[in-house]
Amino acid sequence: MKLLNKNILGLLSIIFFLSSYDALSQEAQKGDLNVSISYFINNNKIPYLLAKVKTKVDGKFKPVNVIPLNLFLDKDSAGTLIAKVVTNEKGEATAIIPASLKNQWSSSIKHTFLASFDGNKNYESAKADLTVGKAKILIDTTSDRKITATVFEMKDTSWTPVKGVELKIAVRRLDADLSVNETASFTTDSTGQATADFKRDSIPGDEKGNIILVAKIEDNDQYGNLLVEQTVPWGSKFIPVNNFDRRTLFATRDKTPIWLLFMAYSIVITVWGILISLVISIFKIKKIGEEIQA
Amino acid sequence: MENLNSTANEKIIQDLLPQKFGKSGKIWTGILVAFCLVGLFAYYRQLRYGLVVTSMRDYVSWGIYISNFVFFVAISLVGSLITAVFRLADVHWSTPLTRIAEIIAVAAIIFASLIIIVDMGSPERFYNLFIHGRLQSPIIWDVIVITTYFFISILLLYFPLLPDIQILIKYKEKSSKRLQKFYSFIGSFWKGTPAQFKLSEKAINILCITIIPVAFSIHTVTSWLFATTYRPGWDSTNFGAYFISGAFLVGAGGVVVAMYVFRKAYHLEKYITADHFEKMGRIVVLLALLYLYFNVNEYLVPAFKMKKSEEAHLNGLFTGEFAPLFWFAISVGMLIPIIILLFKKGRRPLPVFIAGIMVVVGAWFKRYLIVTPTLLHPFLPMTNVPDSYRHYFPSWEEWAIALGSLAGAMLVITILSRIFPIIPIQETITERHETAE
Repeated sequence: MKLLNKNILGLLSIIFFLSSYDALSQEAQKGDLNVSISYFINNNKIPYLLAKVKTKVDGKFKPVNVIPLNLFLDKDSAGTLIAKVVTNEKGEATAIIPASLKNQWSSSIKHTFLASFDGNKNYESAKADLTVGKAKILIDTTSDRKITATVFEMKDTSWTPVKGVELKIAVRRLDADLSVNETASFTTDSTGQATADFKRDSIPGDEKGNIILVAKIEDNDQYGNLLVEQTVPWGSKFIPVNNFDRRTLFATRDKTPIWLLFMAYSIVITVWGILISLVISIFKIKKIGEEIQA
Repeated sequence: MENLNSTANEKIIQDLLPQKFGKSGKIWTGILVAFCLVGLFAYYRQLRYGLVVTSMRDYVSWGIYISNFVFFVAISLVGSLITAVFRLADVHWSTPLTRIAEIIAVAAIIFASLIIIVDMGSPERFYNLFIHGRLQSPIIWDVIVITTYFFISILLLYFPLLPDIQILIKYKEKSSKRLQKFYSFIGSFWKGTPAQFKLSEKAINILCITIIPVAFSIHTVTSWLFATTYRPGWDSTNFGAYFISGAFLVGAGGVVVAMYVFRKAYHLEKYITADHFEKMGRIVVLLALLYLYFNVNEYLVPAFKMKKSEEAHLNGLFTGEFAPLFWFAISVGMLIPIIILLFKKGRRPLPVFIAGIMVVVGAWFKRYLIVTPTLLHPFLPMTNVPDSYRHYFPSWEEWAIALGSLAGAMLVITILSRIFPIIPIQETITERHETAE
């Protein structure tokens, strides 16, 4: 009996060990997430954050959706919540810096953003941070089609020009931005300025010839992503072609092409003219017959 | 000599004057009338309950009505072939066949117009073609060209008939009073004067010249109803020529069938001779080879490329659900008649008649194969539709109307052959005199 109890005990111990091993193995299957944050400010207005979440599957990074993230302003003050967001199918989530954090935002010239994920049954907890300094770009143009972009950063309480910042000066197009000349990027001088000559004279603009110039700093370690736009009438006027109301083969009956009307009526008039003349012949034949009868 | 001539003329006139229906003629007419009445009843049901009585649904919106229309349009070409082309080419042996061809053309074009109105569902929709139709649409071109062709066919029947009407009026005892009144109404003014003959000859020549481009147009435009629509099987630049060659074939086939029937029924062996069958047999075999050539072009080239979008359609024809019908139409409509008619023995009256029937029957099914299988293979796959939308088999109403229209066309031919001489009397007399001289 004792031997039996020992055996049962031993068996239970193995089952317990295996079940706990199984539980451990499930823990080990949780994936690791890679969280990153980017900072954006467009036209020197409301800054916003873009958080991206991805994971490695078969050696390749893939975006992960439906991941809840907490975005904080300055990681040392974990209580300053910017927003709670959830990633979309691209693994991305955005949040603007809300007006309620105006005081905290103004209190410092540099800020650190924190994105944290608390973990769930599929993924381990993860976090990322990003520190950026406040900066802005101003764009100016001259009548001889020169574009000057000036980069400033906040030092103490004033905006100071920054030297050696790489930026792009381009024309906004439908899918991407087109550089204003053959130079792909520019670097600011000691006055914080970068100047570019506009050499895209024939580029199509809107109906008034307006195009949008863009000066932008991309993925800068100190300042993040900054972009500023200016509309100038330097493009060629785009006159849209609309066939909707024209005489075409697919138009309504009152918009039949003239050539078709001409051809169709010419043929119909010619053929029916001949046929009518033949009907007249019948009457002529009849007249001859009646004259003989008379 | 003059006496001999007048006796010969008298014999020709007596032989060729329209004859009253015998027993078989009456039975034949009765059968045709019965088919027409059943067709009319089916049409009444279609008017009463709508197009839902047909098997046409969202995908197959053109069924056997349109197949029948294309068939009628095709067979109507015979008028221009026999009358116009042969007359302009100064071919005299075809004279006994001209009236048959003209009558077939008139009957076919009448029912081509009617069957289109049947296909519209409610007849008042035809009126909408005029108030809302667009000149850019091949459908409007078809309406214009069919109306024109109908009018030309009537004139082409009428002008050569005038001298014969004078003979019909002269031989009062051979026709009823009612018919005499009708003859007087349409042709009592014909006195056979040189001035009248001159005007008539000129008119016939003008008609023969005019009818050829119009006939080509009617078939080309009908083919464009399909070819201007981007669909598997219809997307072809070859369609105009393909339709015209097919129309010439079925028209010639129709003529040899009618030749044989009228020859037997009215004992016209002296006028429609074995030589006529020999010559028509040669024409039919030539046209069948031509149409076969166009068919090879029409199917071999797409099959060689086998575009994904056309694959289902072509496989359906070659090996799928339409394969039996397809190979029947190709073999019965072209291959077997070619084999029969290539041999001299095959160009005797009876084999030519059998080949003619095969050509006509094959042509009807060929038109069905041009119209319907394409509609069952749209570019976008059929999804979420009832099973009945995926297949098409005509309802009894459609069969009744289609058969009724075919019977109607034959009834018109029968009635016209009862009223008018089926072989031009005056022209036969003139030609015999010219030959004798």
